[in-house]
Amino acid sequence: MRRPHRASFVRPAGGVNIALAASLSRGFIAANGLRIALTLSCIALGVALAGAVHTVHSSALAEVDRAARTLAGTADLEVRGARSGFDDAIFARVASLPGVAEASPVLEVRAALPGRDDTLRILGIDALRAVRMQPAFVPGAASTGAGEVSLLLDEKSAWLSPAAATRLGLGKGQALRLVAGTGVREYEVAGVLAGLAQAGEVAVLDIAVAQWHFGRVGNLSRIELRLRPGVHPDTVSAELARFLPAGVGVSAAASSGERAQAISRAYRVNLDALALVALATGAFLVFSTLALQAARRRQEFALLRALGATRRGVAALVLLEGAVIGALGAALGTALGIAASRTLLQRSGGDLGAGFFEGLGATFTPDPAGLAAIALLGAGVAVAGALWVARGVAGIAVADALRDRAIDLPFGARRHAAVAIALAALGVPLLFVPPLGGLPLGGYAAIGAWLVAAVAAVTPVCRALLGRLSPEGAIASLGVAQVRHLPGHLAASVAGIVVSASLCIAMAIMVHSFRASLSAWLDGVVGADLYVRAAPAGDTAYFSEEEQRRIASAQGVESVEPLAYDRLVVGDGRVPLSLVARPVTTRLLEGFQAEPPGIPPPSSAPAVWISEAARDLHGWKPGDRIPLPVAGRLVDARVAGVIRDYARTWGAVMMDWADYRRLAGEGRANDLALRLAPGAQTLAVQAAIRAAMPSAAGLVMEDATHLRRRSLEIFDRSFAVTYALEAIAIAIGLAGVTSSFAALAWSRRREFGVLRFLGLTRREILRLLAIEGAATGALGGLIGVAAGAGISLVLVHVVNRQSFHWGMEVHWPLGTLLLLFLAIVATCAVGAPVSGALAVRREAVLAVKDDA
Amino acid sequence: MVPVVPVVQPFVMLELRGLSKSYGASRLFESIDLEVAAGEWLAIVGESGSGKSTLLNIVAGLDRPDAGSVLLDGKPLDYSDDDALALWRRRHVGFVFQAFHLLPYLTLAENVALPLALLRVPRAERTERARELLAAVGLEGFGERRPATLSGGEMQRAAIARALAHRPTLLLADEPTGNLDQANARAVLECLATTARGSGAAMVMVTHSPMAAGCADRIVRLSSGRLAA
Repeated sequence: MRRPHRASFVRPAGGVNIALAASLSRGFIAANGLRIALTLSCIALGVALAGAVHTVHSSALAEVDRAARTLAGTADLEVRGARSGFDDAIFARVASLPGVAEASPVLEVRAALPGRDDTLRILGIDALRAVRMQPAFVPGAASTGAGEVSLLLDEKSAWLSPAAATRLGLGKGQALRLVAGTGVREYEVAGVLAGLAQAGEVAVLDIAVAQWHFGRVGNLSRIELRLRPGVHPDTVSAELARFLPAGVGVSAAASSGERAQAISRAYRVNLDALALVALATGAFLVFSTLALQAARRRQEFALLRALGATRRGVAALVLLEGAVIGALGAALGTALGIAASRTLLQRSGGDLGAGFFEGLGATFTPDPAGLAAIALLGAGVAVAGALWVARGVAGIAVADALRDRAIDLPFGARRHAAVAIALAALGVPLLFVPPLGGLPLGGYAAIGAWLVAAVAAVTPVCRALLGRLSPEGAIASLGVAQVRHLPGHLAASVAGIVVSASLCIAMAIMVHSFRASLSAWLDGVVGADLYVRAAPAGDTAYFSEEEQRRIASAQGVESVEPLAYDRLVVGDGRVPLSLVARPVTTRLLEGFQAEPPGIPPPSSAPAVWISEAARDLHGWKPGDRIPLPVAGRLVDARVAGVIRDYARTWGAVMMDWADYRRLAGEGRANDLALRLAPGAQTLAVQAAIRAAMPSAAGLVMEDATHLRRRSLEIFDRSFAVTYALEAIAIAIGLAGVTSSFAALAWSRRREFGVLRFLGLTRREILRLLAIEGAATGALGGLIGVAAGAGISLVLVHVVNRQSFHWGMEVHWPLGTLLLLFLAIVATCAVGAPVSGALAVRREAVLAVKDDA
Repeated sequence: MVPVVPVVQPFVMLELRGLSKSYGASRLFESIDLEVAAGEWLAIVGESGSGKSTLLNIVAGLDRPDAGSVLLDGKPLDYSDDDALALWRRRHVGFVFQAFHLLPYLTLAENVALPLALLRVPRAERTERARELLAAVGLEGFGERRPATLSGGEMQRAAIARALAHRPTLLLADEPTGNLDQANARAVLECLATTARGSGAAMVMVTHSPMAAGCADRIVRLSSGRLAA
């Protein structure tokens, strides 16, 4: 019996096998080097960006978690209070609970470093208790002798974690200086605690010393608890809940990692969304590259179909090419992302400078599962782009394509208007989806739907705008006809630019609106002449009431308004709430854009004004009575209004200074807002204040103008990465459209040859290409601006509200939009003839004979 | 007084003088001399690779000769100025291709009117001319259709209409029936005979087809680099 012929292919798929596919795709790759490189780089950029952001944050969160576990030691539970702490009188009661085996009190503050803008985390511990539960605090045998344990009780000694020692450049015996109140305390570094290698930057003092030096006598930040064997944490938690004072809660030990994750999630997701801008542009570039090639190869596909390949077979070939581009881009992006994350961790820290994980030197800790998911997403968007083209290729009219009659790209352009309208409509209800897990997923889905709608709208908008346009000149009418009658080509050419432009325009409008709203808000709330702070940062610096009086009596000072801040624990303690105490006036409420405006009539319950974030996160509204833990007492406060507060992400309540002082029983202030006497010179007043406070080492003074300018500079700096990414996305989109022109021009070289026969000069053909480029760019730009404007409203009113809870007014940066639109048109008008020059240079005689 | 009887001499529209062309070491043709009168239809026949199309391209100013000159209406072509040649083609030359080469994104009327648009003829005038020409080539009512919807013969007749739109003095045709079946070829040749000949232009047609050549007023053969009657 004759042996059957052994097939040379690996896996038949509708007549097109892998070996054949590879051989057919070779030509495609060779002919599209630049486009494929651009597409690859776009996907790689998106994957790299998402991968880098993910790795940086996963490293930071892992570091927070490691630090928390190191410091918690063998603790099972922790009792935690507001930033201002709680009364240490409850310690004895907590420690004596039957289920508690060990209890270790901790005072934690963040102290400013004199002469510097940064802070250091200070832990005050009871050494004798801590060593039983938190071995990291025990000086290691390798670094210190057992006798040195007693140094933990020495009021002049401080121990440093290795990271703190490295950053501050301090070793054993050297002086550590910290701002306390308005003065400076000096400690001798007793040694470096090797056990705190993973605890971040920390200095350890005796708890009594810390309480005394930082003005927190009788005050604790938390109590670490180890339970007796067999005792369930819930049992102890329930017992604790019965007597813990207001604002003090119980949570699992080392839960700060979880809290950090919750607090930074929206920020991380928004950076990831920015990475998706690049990925979305990449997806449409894949579509564009494959679509233009599909046009060029339509006879090849038709021939394959005529030779017996199934529709699915030719579609699979296109999908395979998209998948290969996606896989290569994803692999390259992952490698780039890992490399970038290492650099970012070293330069910007684990929060990319956002301030979530202050004082934490994150170690590179990649998350393989997360990176794999991002890489898969990158490859997935490429396949999604290819799928669109594959559907068109599968539906190719074989007979027409073989006779070279199917000149446009094979897409169902007739249905595009309906698709665009349906997707745009689909996005509307998504806007009203409440945040899921604190994330604006409905908003993101609406943006995705509107982006695809924008691309689908290219053809119908082109018909509407150019349908009746009939320029008199031959060159212009040829250009318009080309753009108008090849909708598939047009859609493929401008898809990348529509997507990148609309996303970038949306971001530009949102950032501009944000900046304008912030600027207006600053004008309203920064009303004093001079602001004085006890230290640039940290929570150990403050002005006593006596110091406030001294400053008030300095020459040139008319009045002084004290401001105090605290961070409260409300609910389950996962979402921090800031308390701001200051004299509340009608003018101040106007500046904070309070709603309802004005001060309510006096009542027994103190009035508080909640920020928009507090309203959204806690569900409070004006008129509500809310229990607020202030200075260890649960205060029944009434919500007098909602204010806008761009200074705090996680919600704030503002209370009148008089109420706060009455409740707290003291008038310590973190900042002072000064009004100067008429004619007083700011510099002279600053000198008078320094003279009145000779020992105040960390005093910071700035006038309102400087404060406003600095706030806006910080805003601009924090959006610098956004601007850079937008510029890259636009550049890639434009490069994509330019390379589309090159591919299209090459496929039209026969047409150019005919035009040369008809008497057009090469220059006129280049002018024709410029007109087509300008028309295409204008169309892409117009749709991009329209879609971008719509998406910006989603960013402002949905994404931003649900992620960061900040309200803002929409401000249209008309100049920037016009400039961007003109830049797109100009780039396309110049890019089209430049990229098509090669095709035009070809000899007309050869061109008309060219059947390719 | 002896009465003077005017003698009408055939007016030479196209003249080739000593035209030579080589590609590297391969000589295509050498010292070709040829005259074509206004209104005359000349067919150039020859084997594949004999240089017929190259000769036509040199006449159209799209390729340049190694030696010799081409004169249209007594004026020599200046091969050194590409733009001037393009403008000359625009005004004086009509071209019919083997593969029709209608622009796929223009309607038939727009394709036919394209040479007039390039010469900035007002829209109304060129629309009327396109309508007339389409009717003349038997495509009345086809003006709004796109080339992809036509048969090969219909496309070639539309291409002939385009070639004549601007009333060229020289009509060049490169294998105009090469892509057509016999019936369509005959229809196209009839179309050329009636419309092109009636235009008064000098027509040079390169062809393999004896039937096409048989329609011409005169046939020359290009063989071994020489033209022979």
